[in-house]
Amino acid sequence: MHAAPAGESSGARPRSPAPARSGTQSDRRTERVLGALAAGVLGLIALMTITVFAKAWPSFSHNGLTGWFQSGGDVDQQLREMLTSGTQGGHPTYHLRAWPLLWGTILTTGLAVLIGIVFSTFAAIFIVEFAPAPVRRVIEPIVRLLGGVPSVVYGLIGILAIAPWVNHHLLSESRKSSVEYLVQLAGSNLSTATLILTVMITPIMVAIVSSSLAAVPGPWTEGSAALGVNRWRTIWRISLRTARPAIIAAAVLATARALGEAIMLSMVSGGRGFAANPIDGITFLFEPVRPLAATIVQNSEALSAPSLGRTLYAMAAVLMVSAALLSLAGWAAKQPLKRYGIRA
Amino acid sequence: MRVNRTAIVSLLAALALVLVPAGALAARALLVDGSTSVFPLATQLAAAYHKAFPKLAKPKIGQGQSDAGINDVASGRVDIADVSRDPIQGVDPHGLIFTKIAQDGICLITNSANPISNLSTQQVQAIFTGQTRDWSDIPGSKVSGPIDLFDRDGASGTQDAFQNIFLGQDLKVSPSATAETSNGLVQNAVRSTPNAIGFVSFAFTEGVNAVPYQGIPCTLRNAKSGQYQGVRNFWMVTKGAPKAAASKFLKWVTSSHNKVARRIIASNWIAIH
Amino acid sequence: MATRATPLTAPGGAPLAGRPRDSIAAWPLADRLGYLTCWAAGIALCLVTAAIVLFMLVKGISYLRPSLLVQSPQGSLDQSKAGGFLDPIVGTLLLTALGTALAAPVGVALAAWLSEYARPAWLARTVESGVEMIAGVPSVVLAIFGLLVFSQGFLSFLSQTSAGGSVFGKSFFAAGGMMSLLALPLIVSSTREALAQIPAHVREASYALGKTRATTIWRVLLPSVRPNIASGVTLGMGRIIGDTAIVVVLLGATLQTEGAGGAPLLSTLRGTGSTLTSYVYTNSPTGEGNAPQKAYAAAFVLLMLVVGLNAIVTRLSNGPRATNAERSPLRRGLRAVRTPWTR
Repeated sequence: MHAAPAGESSGARPRSPAPARSGTQSDRRTERVLGALAAGVLGLIALMTITVFAKAWPSFSHNGLTGWFQSGGDVDQQLREMLTSGTQGGHPTYHLRAWPLLWGTILTTGLAVLIGIVFSTFAAIFIVEFAPAPVRRVIEPIVRLLGGVPSVVYGLIGILAIAPWVNHHLLSESRKSSVEYLVQLAGSNLSTATLILTVMITPIMVAIVSSSLAAVPGPWTEGSAALGVNRWRTIWRISLRTARPAIIAAAVLATARALGEAIMLSMVSGGRGFAANPIDGITFLFEPVRPLAATIVQNSEALSAPSLGRTLYAMAAVLMVSAALLSLAGWAAKQPLKRYGIRA
Repeated sequence: MRVNRTAIVSLLAALALVLVPAGALAARALLVDGSTSVFPLATQLAAAYHKAFPKLAKPKIGQGQSDAGINDVASGRVDIADVSRDPIQGVDPHGLIFTKIAQDGICLITNSANPISNLSTQQVQAIFTGQTRDWSDIPGSKVSGPIDLFDRDGASGTQDAFQNIFLGQDLKVSPSATAETSNGLVQNAVRSTPNAIGFVSFAFTEGVNAVPYQGIPCTLRNAKSGQYQGVRNFWMVTKGAPKAAASKFLKWVTSSHNKVARRIIASNWIAIH
Repeated sequence: MATRATPLTAPGGAPLAGRPRDSIAAWPLADRLGYLTCWAAGIALCLVTAAIVLFMLVKGISYLRPSLLVQSPQGSLDQSKAGGFLDPIVGTLLLTALGTALAAPVGVALAAWLSEYARPAWLARTVESGVEMIAGVPSVVLAIFGLLVFSQGFLSFLSQTSAGGSVFGKSFFAAGGMMSLLALPLIVSSTREALAQIPAHVREASYALGKTRATTIWRVLLPSVRPNIASGVTLGMGRIIGDTAIVVVLLGATLQTEGAGGAPLLSTLRGTGSTLTSYVYTNSPTGEGNAPQKAYAAAFVLLMLVVGLNAIVTRLSNGPRATNAERSPLRRGLRAVRTPWTR
């Protein structure tokens, strides 16, 4: 048995002195049980990472890491071929050039987060600084509610209300015929998907940014105001700059949510592994895409197909790596806040 | 604290006692998976079957794509796969037995703003392969402008059947077509797009215009009489000859003396037995 | 956040109080533009929310019939015979209960360990980042991992076995297990944050009374953060209720709740079923049910559940503490220390 040191060093805050009877049997047992539980959860997470990567390996090794992420050919056709390959024995085909799916993920996530971050920063300033008290009281629960709406509800509204509207009012015949040899435009497309995704991730960002704006120490802004700087400049130069790490943290969280959104995007993104092309100008915004997560959920029935299943796990692995990198980025973004004693 | 621990331990013990024998003894289920097109028929058959034999395990019907169902049955994950396309030599895994259970029609559908009165085989082929890209090139069309093609994704049995019946082996649907994952999505897209054309199973023609093919309206009656040509087969697929529970269910479904099953099939599909 | 030194200014520029010099009319154009953008963003936020809520309200009220709530779904192409969504409602409740029952104890225990023991340090740090990673992993990834795990032979007692002998891997147990991972990070973080805010002297007081660390956690610390645990659990429930991917992949999303045979509750838990989310998904055009009106009605019920949960969270996290100083964690902690001693 090792005596509990008075005030271990782990953890952010200083520890209290050890309890008087720290060495009792029951106490040590509790610690062991809890520790074992923690280790168990960790083991499960490790198991998940390992199995997903082990399952995904053939897909990466057949295409090569660079090949996997490249573009080339019709990705939907490649997935289709995988579905029936290897069922009669022989070598299953793993040929995949996943760039259109990745590009779809990058586009939907990137655009939604970009629009969302600008919008929610302004909305947060409004809530914290300008909104009259009654409005503020209403808006806060509303934001929380908006954040809790299940994605399938957004998908339903998107496919039944927004996509037909986009198709009727924003897509002219000439626009459709301008790319008809390449791809066909319909109501479910990049812009519809991005729009709904933005609405989905905005509440998280508004909540985080507004709580950090509210936490900016009063004397800082008062000092600025006392120097004769007008209110807007004060907000812009002092509050917003202080809250910058929180804005980044909000963007990171929102990115994680947008990356993993599968159901809504499978309903309204257009469902086609097509790499929307920015050269097409405005039309580019109306081209169909299909992000990674949506691809997994749409093909989830086919997980038992030998090579398609493994390819889907490879997509899951890519998503997991992105999630891990994001949580790292989020951790890094929060660090400067702690200096001011602000918890994001 | 002590009371809690005792409670937890006894709860765990009770759980273990219940779980282990249940796992060991539970009757094996009859799992069915596969085509979404067959799904409405299969669930109705399963419910009637369960009513007729309440003691036997009720078949559990999942839904997805025909090819996914074939993979599942080949790997043993399910006992029966519902498949809405014909067997393909050289692609289907060895040792699968296809049992035909019914026939279904495939309708060409257009938006209700475009109640086109007929399409010939040549016109359908020209439209879906992308040779004809404008409605003004199709006589009888009430709209003009580019044709919006709605296809199904590759794992769909409906897609395969459309390919075989309407296009033939050598032609392919234009790659620019939007590939939807379900009959419902095609129906929905065609319903809200004036210039659209797509194909769906019989049951999904509400709110859209079902186009007569080769001069014959796409109706259940015309399909039953054999006049309408766009008819495909529904199959139930097993790995090897159907065994035990699966065999019982399939015998019940295909028996020509079974009035209940015949009536269910005839309600929206074509009975063949 | 209400206490702000700068004076409130009415939109027209008339100062409400304080320095008259800082009137918006006197601001440079760029600043005024920024100010207007803020108002526009705030109003847009309200409008979008109002649009969503009103749209769902109108659709829900026009399509929701009481009979839908009490009928089981039937596999019929005729929508008047296709029944309602009783089974999905039960499925949602069952799955949420199961997921929470798994996640809550583990989450609280993890938080207690991370906050009070955290030894060895490397393990604590790894567990911490592991939990954080889980929070960022898309639920569809959890779902397909779950399918892999629960299809293993030795876990066959948690789902069903096909006549051919392989494990189905789709059941309430499987879905609930993965759902608990979805809720876990929320429970851990809210509990842990609250534990960290309890001042050290509360612990010291308890130790001074001769209590062990375990007793202090169980009797003093956890009771005093109960509202935080509750709000974490409620947030977790919200995520479970709203998730579709895990239900579609791991619960089978069958029309009706179908038991696997055996003891009643156990049979259900080992069997497949659906939830409101998967019902909406399969009845939207994406699925083959294709009954948008029923999808709207079910989505409305789902939204009502979310609104209800939201009200609970708001209550737990704001209401009592803001109004009642006696409920501050510190006071509660101190009172809790006293209780076992006086007894």
